Amino acid sequence: MAWLHTWAGVVLGALLFAIFWMGTLTVFDREIDRWMMPDTRLALPSARVSLDRIAETVREIVPDDARRWQLRLPAPREPVARLSFQTAEGDFLTRHLDPATAALLPDQGTLAGTGFIFPFHYSLHLRWRSLGYWLVGLAGMAMLTLLVSGVVIHRKIFVDFFTFRWERKLPRSSLDLHNLTGVLALPFHFVITLSGLIIFFAIYFPSVVDSVYGDDHAAFNHDVYGSFRREPADAPGPLASVDAMAAEAARQWGGEPPYFVRVWHPGDANATVEMRRTVARSVDLNVDTVHFDAATGAVLRTHTASPVVHVQRFISGLHFIQFEHWPLRWIYFVLGLSGCVMIATGFIYWLETRRKRHAAQGLPGVRIVEGLTVGAVTGIIIATLAFFAANRLLPSGAALAGYDRAALEVWAFYLVWIAAFAHAWARTGRAWREQCWAIAGLALLAVVLNAATTGDHLLQALAHRHLWPIAGIDLLLLAGAVVAILTALHLARRGIATGPPQDALKAAE
Amino acid sequence: MAGWLLLVGIPTAAYLGFALLALGQGRQWRRTSSVPAPDRIRISVLRLLGSAGLALSLTLSLLRDGPGFGGLLWATVVSLAALAVAFTLTWRPALLRPLAVMATVGIRLRCDRMETDGQGTAKVPPSNPTCL
Repeated sequence: MAWLHTWAGVVLGALLFAIFWMGTLTVFDREIDRWMMPDTRLALPSARVSLDRIAETVREIVPDDARRWQLRLPAPREPVARLSFQTAEGDFLTRHLDPATAALLPDQGTLAGTGFIFPFHYSLHLRWRSLGYWLVGLAGMAMLTLLVSGVVIHRKIFVDFFTFRWERKLPRSSLDLHNLTGVLALPFHFVITLSGLIIFFAIYFPSVVDSVYGDDHAAFNHDVYGSFRREPADAPGPLASVDAMAAEAARQWGGEPPYFVRVWHPGDANATVEMRRTVARSVDLNVDTVHFDAATGAVLRTHTASPVVHVQRFISGLHFIQFEHWPLRWIYFVLGLSGCVMIATGFIYWLETRRKRHAAQGLPGVRIVEGLTVGAVTGIIIATLAFFAANRLLPSGAALAGYDRAALEVWAFYLVWIAAFAHAWARTGRAWREQCWAIAGLALLAVVLNAATTGDHLLQALAHRHLWPIAGIDLLLLAGAVVAILTALHLARRGIATGPPQDALKAAE
Repeated sequence: MAGWLLLVGIPTAAYLGFALLALGQGRQWRRTSSVPAPDRIRISVLRLLGSAGLALSLTLSLLRDGPGFGGLLWATVVSLAALAVAFTLTWRPALLRPLAVMATVGIRLRCDRMETDGQGTAKVPPSNPTCL
């Protein structure tokens, strides 16, 4: 069991850290969006903008032959209406509308939190044959194995329940912290990992769906998620009042409003309008949907989850936290960070218990794994901060070698991450400390760049309620910088040999 | 207002609950207090009070947010509270001394009685090992 825990951790730990890190950031994805999209830092107006007014704007933006358009209505964490549409060629485009006037906001040229960090968390942006989903699924299964085997091999789980011997040598203190974050936050880690796997049951266990529905996945979506499809008539048709449809949907949902509106085959005589009930008010991610005939506003289909689906949606809701509950959001963030600490300290323990022996025997293991650890832990943090800094440095409309601004930000992330790995392997011994300084520098740079390019410096942001998300991100960046500086100073002071000791190296040679 | 009070009460009750449970462990007791570790009965009392703290936290949580959010809030708050207790024991164990003192009030009272036993003012050396 110890062998399984050790090697599953060493082989998949880097991937697990990336998933946990991105998942932790996703807790504040909308706030990151506001930070990276300055034109969307708006106050949510008290009066909701008319959906009919929005539909007029949409008609001007969305091409006539678009297959569909969809709208996320303004909400406290996302005060703008997010419009996405699929062109006849199949491309997806996203734009933002002012919540007060329904006017189109300038293209922000970034994927930001919801477009880059969130999909990275579950797909790693590896689209080829859904490879990313499968790697994340594999890592998720490994995480469950690691959690269970970790409990089994823990020698004194109750005696050490509250024990963190900070003052002891690194192998002991890192193992204590590994055990502490692993055991005390075990319910969170276990449920968050298991629910992550359950969300994608249709990808990981397609046979479940196939055994009942065969190849007819549309029938599955119809029964489970309440989807409704109607072939286009290929003749023009009107769009009745969307506000009236929203009112009818809210009436059916006991007064709760829709959060999402989608028009299928817009402009066609057979167009339909889909409305989904808000998910802000309960843990479970309901699938309550009403479909309307676009031309007349007549209800075509009303759907609510069956009991089994309800359970799946509750588990999904635990993971997605689309609900409005600030204390829980912050707790998820901190517990997510505790997962990152657990993975990182697991690596450090592995390294520190082998360092001397590997150096004496001339084995390359510690050197290789240490580079992997530094690149995976501080490296991805640096890359994320470079992503933020690039967002504030690139001029709007920037393009290079055929890549648009949003793609350039993503390039900044990956190139910096690769560089961090290269640095980690090239500078063993100093890499931890130097990368901590890089984190501190980039975090401070991001705060300064935000103030300089948008004028929403920390005091300004704290003074205005609608800028609190910006203040929150800035404060987290500053806190991260402080932690990185303290860590770097601590590493320097204690002179921790984060690399083979020089004499041992000479002896090995 | 009540919502905010409950929001403070939920983690506080969980923290105190775990702190009492920790004090019920010999190693953690020694980190906080110079008074010798409590006997088995008092350990049971500490554990009972600690569990009561966790139960109170759950009750407040359900009261504030109902079964869905309340259950989730409690299940996550307890992890943070336990981590907070562990870090307190690492870096500021003295903070938990008042709690340890309160938990030993019973022991002190018994020792005081023994010290003034018999001829009024004459001090009797404590024979009970917990009276140091």
